[in-house]
Parts: sequence; C-alpha cells; structure tokens
Amino acid sequence: MNEESSTLADIPGLMRIENPGKEELTAHCMELTHAVYPHHQVYGQYCTIHAYVDCPPERAYDYLRQGHHLEEWTCSLRDFAPAGPPGLWVGHDRLEDDTRIYCEVVANPEAMTVDYHCSWDQGEKLWMIYLMRVVPARLVLDKPGSVITWTNCRHPYYDDNPHPGAAPRPDRPWVGDYWDLFYAGHTVEMNNLKAILEHRHRNGLPVNVAPPTAVAR
Amino acid sequence: MTTVSLTDVASYLPGEPVPAEFYTDYPGAEDKLRNHPMFKVPPSRHHVAADESNADMVERAVQPLIERHGRDEIRGVDVLLVHSQLPDLPFVGAGTEVARRLGLNPEWLVDVANAGCASFVYMLKLARQILTTTDAKTALICNAQSAAGQCFTQSEVRRLAQAAIPGDGCGVGYVTTSADTPVLDVETRHIGEYAGDMTVAVDDGRKYWEPGESQLRIGFTDASVAKVLARGNRLVPEVVTDLCRRLGVATADIDVLITNQPNRTFLRNWREALQLPPERHLNTFDQYGNLFGAAIPITLDRAIRSRQVEDGDLVVLGGFAHAGDFAGATAVRWHGGRG
Repeated sequence: MNEESSTLADIPGLMRIENPGKEELTAHCMELTHAVYPHHQVYGQYCTIHAYVDCPPERAYDYLRQGHHLEEWTCSLRDFAPAGPPGLWVGHDRLEDDTRIYCEVVANPEAMTVDYHCSWDQGEKLWMIYLMRVVPARLVLDKPGSVITWTNCRHPYYDDNPHPGAAPRPDRPWVGDYWDLFYAGHTVEMNNLKAILEHRHRNGLPVNVAPPTAVAR
Repeated sequence: MTTVSLTDVASYLPGEPVPAEFYTDYPGAEDKLRNHPMFKVPPSRHHVAADESNADMVERAVQPLIERHGRDEIRGVDVLLVHSQLPDLPFVGAGTEVARRLGLNPEWLVDVANAGCASFVYMLKLARQILTTTDAKTALICNAQSAAGQCFTQSEVRRLAQAAIPGDGCGVGYVTTSADTPVLDVETRHIGEYAGDMTVAVDDGRKYWEPGESQLRIGFTDASVAKVLARGNRLVPEVVTDLCRRLGVATADIDVLITNQPNRTFLRNWREALQLPPERHLNTFDQYGNLFGAAIPITLDRAIRSRQVEDGDLVVLGGFAHAGDFAGATAVRWHGGRG
C-alpha cells in the first residue's frame, strides 16, 4: 500500500478521497454537472446507447450472437452469406446502393457480450466495431428481463476512408458521413431489437429464427 | 381579460459593499472550497445594519417608486404582498408594518411565506389574479432579504463556506391594470414532494426560538446538495421552457432572462439549457451574492437602470425555491418608461 501510494503521489491530476477530501470532491463533481450537454460532447467520439428489454437475458444474448438476426433488427443490413474465411460473412448495407458489408461476430457467453466486427467494401480489416452487452435486469434494475448496452467508438477510418478504391463508385457516400446520426440510427435499431424480442417472448414464440438462406459449409 | 403590467421595479441595498475578506480572513474560516466555482465567494455583498428590519428595507426600496409615480399613487395601492426571507417576528409578518410606514390602506394584504427565491414570480401571479378579478387596480409586491447580515455573520456560522454566499437587499415591483409592460403569462408549480428538504440546523436540536448556544444555519448534507443541484438544473429550464411554449416563442428568443442567483453553477447551467448567451442571462451574484427572493426584482431594477433591458424586450423572470418545492417563471414585454 505504501509503495502504491508513493507511486500515486507522482501522478498528477488524481482526485481521490484522501486528497482533496470529500467536500472538494463533491464540489468538483457538482461543477461538472450541467443541466444539458451538447450532442457532440456526448456522442462526438463515442456513441453509447442502452435499453431495457422485457426478455430473459440468456435468450436476448442467444439472439444477438447469431449474426443472421442482424437482418431482422438492423435498418439496412441484408442478404448475409459466408464470405470465405471461417466466421466472416458478407452482406449488403442498403444505406447505400451496391455497398457490401463484411461482418464477424465475436461473442462471449460468460460475459454475454456480442461484438460485431464489420467493415464496408473490404473484409481484410474489420474496423467498424459494434460492442454490445446483455446484462440481467434482475441484477441492475431488480426486475426480470435484460438491459442491453451498445457502444461504438469513432475509429479514424470513419473520418477518412482508407480504401476509397474499394467503393462501388467514386461518389458513393462514406459510412463515416453518418457518424452524427449514429445515436439516432442506433436508437431506431435498438427499438427494433426490443420490439422483436419482447413480442416473441411475450407471446411464447421462439425468439430465434432460422437463417434465411441455407449455409453451404 | 384585463391586462396587468409590471409597471416598474425599484430596489434597495443596505450599507456599503462587504468584501469577501470579511469571511475569508475570519479566524478559523473553512478555506477548502474557497476557490471552487461552486462555492467561490462573490467579491462583494451587502449586509443589513444591526437594527434594520424587513419593513425598513421595503420602505427604502419603495422610495424611487414614490419619486417616479407620486406619493398618492403608491399610497393608493389596493394590494400589498410581502415576502420576508428572514421574518423579524414570529406571529406577524412585515406587511402591516410596511403599510403603516408607507401610509397604505390596501384591501388585500398578504405576507407570503412560500415560493422563497422565486416568490417575486408568485406574488406577480397573485397580484395579477387579484387585479383581473376584482376592482383592485394597483399592487405593490415586495421581497426583503436580511439573512446574510444576521444569520450568516454569527461567530460560528461565519466560518462556514455557505456563509460567504448570501447577500441582503430588497426589491419591489409596482403592478397596475394597464398595458405598458404587460405580464404575458405566468407558469408556477408548487412541488410538495420536495417540501421540507431544506432545513435550518441548530446543533443542539433546540427549537429555533428556544434559548441556547447553538447558532442557526442552513442544513445541507452532501446528498441533499446533490439532489438540490439536480432539481434546480431541471426545474428552472422546465418552467421557462413551458412558459415559452405557451407564448409560442423559443427560449433562445428571450431578450433578457433574470433568475434567482444561487451560485455560478446554476446560472451557467440554466443559461446553457435555455440556449442563451451569457449577456442575456443577467448575473448580479458577483456584486450582491445570493439575494434569495430579492434577487429577481433587484437584478431587474439594475438591468433597467443600466439599460440592459430595452424598450420592447421580452423579459423572462424565473427561479426555484428552497430545495425545489416551488418553481416559477413569468414573461413581460418591457415598455417601462423611466423618463
């Protein structure tokens, strides 16, 4: 502990209860608390949204981890098919004509995290990453169901397409042009996800559906 | 419906400005938070004199109204509403004493004890209601604040960070059935849920009127301070926004916003939430500290005097009280002539 403290003492800018103390810490936090926050401050570099979904967490996780369900709950991802390398899929992002989106699902059942590693136009480097997590609502809200969180980080490629040559045509808008609409667009998709899961769960239907196209292994 | 106007306002600040050092150089002064924006000490404030009462301050604040509108006109008010932040006496408010001093004979006299820092807005609403539904033609509404030089200068309390924030003063409004500076609308709400969350604390648990050694102060735990911050952040923009929606104007179209003046953080947050530039949200906190209920009329009076309010301006007055048990806002179209 002593060693740790002396190490911490060398780090400028730390605010811990030992120093400055409770009152100043509280005052500092109050100063940081505004009534409103500009959109760019909240969603400029990261876009995190969340929703409560009245569907058991295991079922919500199981639905999310199967990539073909993206065709149900996203606004514009359709027609996924295996792209060749194991685990890599390619479909269309109908946000723009003739635009292919590559996707790999990285899921962790213990943590109930589902990350979609994606990219427009090419599948070599998947840099558009959608980080999702299912949390049992019983733990955090003391009620049945799930809390689903979803974060995107503003990878530099959003602002600067590294492979303009891979676009279907030179004037095709770039995905990063939409960054400022991510909060809105992802909220629409989260609402879709919530509606699908809640409808099927409430009516005793299977939550998952079979992939629309048989996958040739 | 009869148009009611906030025809004029006037104010009085007792004594000479008291510098921040009165508190910061006091032996044993808490200095942990002195440089913190939330508790940063205003450079100056005013204190009532030892023998100065609420009625004394109201009498002095009304003098400019008498000069501008004539003694008879002021003496003829039909309505007198008085809010004393720190009542001088239990049992009886300052209202009848004010009437005696000024030679008033109002048919309607109310000592308003609710709506705290936003009571000017509430009294304007009451006056407007009486003036539109009865034969009454004119009203005087008064806010006296004398806690700073009394409660907060006590030997023990003076050391606390909270002591350096308040200031004393008195603001009054003259309300008439006319169309010169029409009150366009008033939005108020009493929020019972938050009643009683602001307390006055005495460390030995005695009733405030019982003899004892402990010194009366405002009681706040950290948790309640955080709650009050969250409520204040929400309530004032909410009532102002609702008022503007009813008027069909955007909050950004407010020419002059005058709120109560609790601290710099609230002022910043309200301005940001209502999308107004700093120059349109007037600040008297640095000069006079937190004037509690007197802040709105005093700030308005200073603004008119310094021509920060111009003919035709949409002026919005708003604020919240105590720990959030009241919030209110009103809009007037300013055409007040002061010659």
